[in-house]
Amino acid sequence: MTDGPGALGLHGVSKAYGPTQALDGVSFEVAQGTVHALLGGNGCGKSTLIKILAGVVEADAGELEVRGGRHDARDVTPSVARQLGFRFVHQQRTTFADMSVADNLAIGHGFVTGAGRRVQWREQRAHAAATLERFGIDAKPSQALGSLTPARQTMVAVARALQDQQDASDGILVLDEPTAALPAGEVHLLLDALRGYAGHGQTILYVSHRLDEVLAVADAATVLRDGAVKTTSPRAALTHDRLVELIVGRALEAAVATTAARPRDATILEVRNLRSAAVRDAGFVLREGEVLGVAGLLGSGRSTLLRALFGAVPLERGELRLAGQPLLLQGPRDAMAAGIAYVPEDRISEGAFGDLSVDENLSMATVGTYWVRGRLRHRDARGDARGLMRRYGIRAASERAPLASLSGGNQQKVMLARWMRRRPRVLLLDEPTQGVDVGARAEIYGLVRRAVDAGTGIILVSSDAEELALLCDRALILRRGVIVDEVERPHITDSGLEQLLLETEAVPS
Amino acid sequence: MTAVETEDSAPVTTQSPPTPAITEESSRRPSALGVLEAYALVVLLVGVGVFFSLYGPTSSTFPTSGNLQVLFGGQAVLAIVALAVLVPLICGEFDLSVGAVAGLCSVVCASALSSGVAVPLAVLLAIGLGMAFGIVNALLITRVKINSFIATLGVAAIVDGIVTQKTGGLAVVSNIPAIVTSFGSGNWLGIPRPAYVLAAVAVAVYYVLAHTPYGRYIQALGSNREAARLVGLRTDLLLGLTFVAAGTLAGTAGALQVARAGGADPRVGATFLLPAFAAAFLSAAAIKPGKYNVGGTLVAVLFLAALNSGLNLTGAEPYVSQYVNGAALLIGVGLAAYLGRKRLRQATARR
Repeated sequence: MTDGPGALGLHGVSKAYGPTQALDGVSFEVAQGTVHALLGGNGCGKSTLIKILAGVVEADAGELEVRGGRHDARDVTPSVARQLGFRFVHQQRTTFADMSVADNLAIGHGFVTGAGRRVQWREQRAHAAATLERFGIDAKPSQALGSLTPARQTMVAVARALQDQQDASDGILVLDEPTAALPAGEVHLLLDALRGYAGHGQTILYVSHRLDEVLAVADAATVLRDGAVKTTSPRAALTHDRLVELIVGRALEAAVATTAARPRDATILEVRNLRSAAVRDAGFVLREGEVLGVAGLLGSGRSTLLRALFGAVPLERGELRLAGQPLLLQGPRDAMAAGIAYVPEDRISEGAFGDLSVDENLSMATVGTYWVRGRLRHRDARGDARGLMRRYGIRAASERAPLASLSGGNQQKVMLARWMRRRPRVLLLDEPTQGVDVGARAEIYGLVRRAVDAGTGIILVSSDAEELALLCDRALILRRGVIVDEVERPHITDSGLEQLLLETEAVPS
Repeated sequence: MTAVETEDSAPVTTQSPPTPAITEESSRRPSALGVLEAYALVVLLVGVGVFFSLYGPTSSTFPTSGNLQVLFGGQAVLAIVALAVLVPLICGEFDLSVGAVAGLCSVVCASALSSGVAVPLAVLLAIGLGMAFGIVNALLITRVKINSFIATLGVAAIVDGIVTQKTGGLAVVSNIPAIVTSFGSGNWLGIPRPAYVLAAVAVAVYYVLAHTPYGRYIQALGSNREAARLVGLRTDLLLGLTFVAAGTLAGTAGALQVARAGGADPRVGATFLLPAFAAAFLSAAAIKPGKYNVGGTLVAVLFLAALNSGLNLTGAEPYVSQYVNGAALLIGVGLAAYLGRKRLRQATARR
């Protein structure tokens, strides 16, 4: 990859929200035909920057230089952004799983129509087929989008954004966390495709929390912190540790207390012959103060396992014992009464009450305790909420702010605090750091460590092998609903886990 | 539910930048704009009152105690129906049957009274019947899993059918005991008696919604149903109870209507539904902006009533009140959505 001429230059782009300086004189260059990563923690200003490029948010000052032409950053509107060649694929799913690939490509771009605005279906399909071919996507236009693998679905979203570009070198593709919804094994498919597009001259601005991806795909990276550019460096000058330091200002390893307390011997939870949906005859024990990891690919039953232990999906069969007592789960209420807590994977749809306030979210699993002599003690609940926010490092305008106004990492800390305040004996965590920036991730690891020190047994499902290696005392390898292996510290390493996962997957059942 | 963490002050081991202190100020003191927003509808209500009191054609009739008493007394029934709409609305569900059920309950109550049933029994009959229809709605929605909009629309049509069959379209007015009619038309301390019933009902609904866990739970249901299930809430039971509450309130409204009107008009139920929905939606534009609430509902009912009464006294055609109610419904829904979004935006900008 040779550094071509500049495709995009930013000069002194600034934006303030009231007294908060979201962006402070941001300047950097993106070379033609390269993948340029944009990194930074929550609240560093990268979303604001993207919104300015998209013309959704108006900048206070600054200039954009696009293929030699200079434009005032304050004048960018959505249509100007489009003329300048910016194309966006946003973090949220913007595709329609039950519609065909051809329909998905046409929506938001326009159908091929004839007289009377009739859709010319044959031409439409032909156009879609050509687009799929051009972007190297192995799919049929008539296929339902949902039948494609997640990585291909994302590629369709990319193709939809780029299809009207005459030439790859005409525009700039902005990808915001494109792999957030992808299972670990699929990420490289998308990254390979992106490298291919860049090889044809496509300029890509790539926003991600996942440093491994950035190191794998990017030619250069710009790190933002507190609204200012920390560095713009070519790939060769970057390492994982260096990036972490730039983003958080300290190293991640140091963030996790290395003096891991040894798990105590007392067994807290015993699972025998558990069978539920995808999970087949799972059996294991969890000790007090232990972090038990569950590693498995998407569809291995890892989430079902946790949901079954929380009573959220029915058990077909199996025996649970909590601290020696038989445990019968009819629903989440029984699990909660027994001291089990569950933080689901999909925060938005299964955990967060977005329009309710932070304090209401924090107290939702403990409302009963504020019900004293016929009244809800609102003031006590709010006072406790402020205490929890301080203790769990939750950053929000106030405890009365709607949860949805918080950044992803802070929302996740609210979810953890909601359950940890109950002092659970068993804490079930499903992908607790997904879509969370490095800084918040380190804080969440600290919270996990603290719960363990208090004697809580934790079952941690994660598709991030590094995370498992960092946190777990023991890890179970789950394949198609069956526990096939168990690794114990100090033999848990990220490469070792990855290898185990791939190996177990390769063996036909 | 006992294992709540007491204060342990160990900070997160990995505290990075110091968490900005959450001051009392930032969390407590509402902005001037926020206050204005919360009381805009109240100001508008006062404005409407002042306008019709000074405006030539109505200045002699609108501000009289007689008219104000009619206004307050006449709205008590509607306000209770609006509260019936409000409760399921908080968890994002519609009860379109409350008007029809209130109508049927008033007819049944009036028939019972005219055939000599004791007053307390007739009142309980109306309330019990309302509750029974609430239970039917609840079962259709939580067990049969019919969308609440459709389920209550169907029930409303059937209830209307029952009313017509039972009355033949004629009002039930004979033999209503004098104690009932005098209650409905009399005053205590210059305030119409039905207004006291409304006050009692409103306080009860406010108490349940704002000061019991149940109120918090149904808010959670309206916010995110799956998340509510995963924090251990019995979602179907809670949802069903909101419809039972709505039916019970509709029954209460029906009984009060008999006292107010001295009988039961079979067509009265249909006239409640639209203004009741308008008031419930408008409630999100007052007192607690962006949230459906009891205080806002009462203010909205009064606002619509004052507006309609004033227009009526100017000699406006009856269809004008239909314009007013329809527009209020649309504006209410629009404002509720807008204020909800605004609340989120403001908090996002401040984080």
